[in-house]
Amino acid sequence: MNCEQVKPQFADYLVRNLSEEANIEVQRHLTVCDPCRNELQILESTWTRLGTLPEQKPSPTMRARFYAALEAYQDQLQSTQAATKRRVTLTDWLDGWWPKRQAVQLATALLLFVVGLGMGRWLPPKDRSTEEMAHLRDELRDMRQLVTLSLLQQQSASERLKGVNWSYQIAQPDDRVVTALLETLNSDPNVNVRLGAVDALQQLAGHAGVRASLVQSLPRQESPIVQVALIDLLVELKEGRSAEVLRKLVHDNRLHKAVRARAETGLKQIS
Amino acid sequence: MDSTADNLLMFKVRDGDVGKFSFLFERHHRALFNFFLRLTGNRDLSEDLVQEVFFRMLKYRHTFRADSQFSAWMYQVARNAYVDHFRKHKHEAVLSDGEEDDSTSEPSSPELTPEERLGKRQEACLVRQALARLSVDKREVLILSRYQGLKYEEIANILGCEVGTVKGRVFRAIRDLSEIFFQLSREGSGMSAAG
Repeated sequence: MNCEQVKPQFADYLVRNLSEEANIEVQRHLTVCDPCRNELQILESTWTRLGTLPEQKPSPTMRARFYAALEAYQDQLQSTQAATKRRVTLTDWLDGWWPKRQAVQLATALLLFVVGLGMGRWLPPKDRSTEEMAHLRDELRDMRQLVTLSLLQQQSASERLKGVNWSYQIAQPDDRVVTALLETLNSDPNVNVRLGAVDALQQLAGHAGVRASLVQSLPRQESPIVQVALIDLLVELKEGRSAEVLRKLVHDNRLHKAVRARAETGLKQIS
Repeated sequence: MDSTADNLLMFKVRDGDVGKFSFLFERHHRALFNFFLRLTGNRDLSEDLVQEVFFRMLKYRHTFRADSQFSAWMYQVARNAYVDHFRKHKHEAVLSDGEEDDSTSEPSSPELTPEERLGKRQEACLVRQALARLSVDKREVLILSRYQGLKYEEIANILGCEVGTVKGRVFRAIRDLSEIFFQLSREGSGMSAAG
């Protein structure tokens, strides 16, 4: 190989994409050609320097924007499909049943008009939700749950907080979401995220085991602001099982005095 | 998850299971964001373009064919979105050639000393400056190959040209970039000598 033949191989050389045979040829040329060897050294060094550019993270709003757009798109798609389906069914039905003679058509139309009037007047309004809509709702719920769970596991606190907020959009969250929120309440390193979890769990107080878990969580909390929020919630829920924990808090001298005072009032409110 | 899984997911999306698109977003949005960021140097614009690309892929999902490769298709759509944007906004500067907010970078290794960290930041800043001085077509091919990890054949497919053209362009891009690094180091030493 001469210089003219070797240079077109440099791009492949940089990404280690040369065949063994071509690689040997290039190496052989480099041992005898100083200019090519020097040039390739510079190119390799530049290629390596490009690796120092770190990867950047997009802002947290980007994910939220995407999911909002996807949801809107799905809604639009479903309503268009439902409309098309209705149109096709009606047309097919009419093709099969609509009389061919004009006089009979007129009579049928009048009859249908009268029947329609009667039905409109006497029939009670009906729930139009179909099986398809129920299925769609289930899918939407699954997607929201997935987003919530995924966000709650993120490293960034703002992402996890967003996960907490997403949980509000789930009509009836399943155990995975509830467990994840309780886990967040008990062990998230960020106070704001834990506070968010208290609020989110308030909505889920009817879910099996949530009330008991809230009571158990109270003595584990270390931040006064979370302790007070949790006491507020237990009092609002009139959770009798929290009395013993509240009593202990009242007598715990290590706690912030505002927490002890709130526990004391809370105790009176639930008893 | 590999490229086959990507293709299968996209087939499902194409056939109406639009919810599966979220998996593709989770898997690719970050790489796509960095592609645009390295190309334009503008964070806000890069985020907008990522949204635009995912929206276009959804809207034109029926054009995803049986023999398509998802990532190549995505970068094709990305390239069109980028070209369309700059056709509409000709007056806007293409690339800011300097500082990037390091708070959004990946955390650097904790074992580095403050001096080493500073050195890395300065080097990254220099690379950004150098890339900004490269022509767009060379910058694009370099980013696709060096950062997005695409093979020359895939890049040729995305750009709609011969593999040989891609290889030639990569070679010239790296050669130009080496020259730019040299100029920047001279400018730097000139400035410190003047200071």
